[in-house]
Amino acid sequence: MALAALGPRLAASEAKARVVVVGGGIGGATVAKYLAASARMIEVTLVEPKPHYTTCFFSNLYLAGLRSFESLIHGYETLARRYGINVIHDSIAAIDPAAKTVGLKSGPKLPYDRVVVAPGIAFKYDALAGYDEAATQVIPHAWNAGPQTKLLRQQLESMEDGGVFVLVAPPNPFRCPPAPYERASLVASYFKRHKPHAKILILDAKDSFNSQDLFLDAWDRHYQGMIEWLPAEFTGGIKAIDVRERSVKTASETFKAAVANVIPPQTAGQLAQQIGLADQSGWCPVDPMTFESKLQPGIHVVGDATSAGDMPKSAFVANNQAKACAFAIAASLTGSPQFAPHLFNSCYTFLAPDDAVSNAISFEPVAGTIKIAHSFVSRVGESAEIRRRAAREAEGWYDAFAHDTFG
Amino acid sequence: MRQIIAVSIAAGSLIILADRSQAADRDGGAQLAALCASCHRPDGGDRGIPTILGMGPEMLTGAMLAYRSAERPSHIMHAVALSLSDEEIATVARYLAALNK
Repeated sequence: MALAALGPRLAASEAKARVVVVGGGIGGATVAKYLAASARMIEVTLVEPKPHYTTCFFSNLYLAGLRSFESLIHGYETLARRYGINVIHDSIAAIDPAAKTVGLKSGPKLPYDRVVVAPGIAFKYDALAGYDEAATQVIPHAWNAGPQTKLLRQQLESMEDGGVFVLVAPPNPFRCPPAPYERASLVASYFKRHKPHAKILILDAKDSFNSQDLFLDAWDRHYQGMIEWLPAEFTGGIKAIDVRERSVKTASETFKAAVANVIPPQTAGQLAQQIGLADQSGWCPVDPMTFESKLQPGIHVVGDATSAGDMPKSAFVANNQAKACAFAIAASLTGSPQFAPHLFNSCYTFLAPDDAVSNAISFEPVAGTIKIAHSFVSRVGESAEIRRRAAREAEGWYDAFAHDTFG
Repeated sequence: MRQIIAVSIAAGSLIILADRSQAADRDGGAQLAALCASCHRPDGGDRGIPTILGMGPEMLTGAMLAYRSAERPSHIMHAVALSLSDEEIATVARYLAALNK
């Protein structure tokens, strides 16, 4: 039997606990790494279909020609080699909570003591008339980084000077709240350098957005007259996308684009829906201490797919939740003491290549959910030097954060 | 399935010592230090964000208290320091200082 391969030194009581992590994004990779590193008595398997991960965060810098695509790509080699994580590139067919197995598409079933699911987001194509998966090949969403991001970059590069770039911003909640507006800002910085007569039109499903005062101030300072933002209360809301015409129909008017980017309404990743982790909201309610599903005991959920009180859907939060989850699972499987998690979010946002802002929010578990404890954000009117320093810090943050997640 | 178990055991036997920052967590220091590692490289790289290695526990504690009172400016570190009790600051400072030895 396979267990005999462990050799005589390992007594039965020392048999390894098995944790299977499903999904190799920021949440999944972090939980796998911290579990493998926190207790060598835990055998960790990470299942992810893709050979590497491309970060959505900082992909707006790539869209603006300020960062290489390759710099966004991270492999799983270090997690396997340095931390001994068994990385399997496959998809999940099913999870059987009674038998405690994860079934792979290729056939095998992986037994587990605990399973962590990090399925990320899925797009609600049925919520936006005229826009579906096929349409993304003409009008990219570029909201999962990869080929979609490259397609949008190509379209922006080949757009004529004087064209209109139309960006459709999604309703709440969605992955990375400031990111549609950071995208508009950085694309504007690219236009300013290469296509000074181009315009950007943001058609929003909402009436306000994250850090709005910081963005409006920056658009006025850096890109005067280039970016126009139309809230839902002005247009009457987004009604349909016409892929052939490359236009966006709102209740009041139809807007034609030279290049369009539709960020669709979002929901928890497909696997979460498939195995009953998501509630009516489309997101996965979780215990604020352990990130165990409130709907499927024994299954933990981390990252964008969760409905975690006040915590936003950001890479930082996915990494932070993953650590809370990993330490809770390690404590429960090894009998080591359990400590309350430190729930935190911090995001850097670029308004221009040398003008960045940041926020920092601490959270605490309160009555079964998660509430903001302290929140600090950059302010309008800060000196150019403070903003330049934040842009430098942001680059250092990316480097440290990628190291923290992928090894 | 047997093949997969065999593969994972082979991988397990190759475990190289993980970052010491994530070793067995008796006082919660490792879990607290894990929060630091989201922004500060545990191997001391400091491109844009200052390193937190190479400091003694008193210096680290002093820095955290200065961030908490906003005597040192940084709204990110202010939020972090406000979320930690005095005891947690002492624990994480001791933990990080021990990484240098």
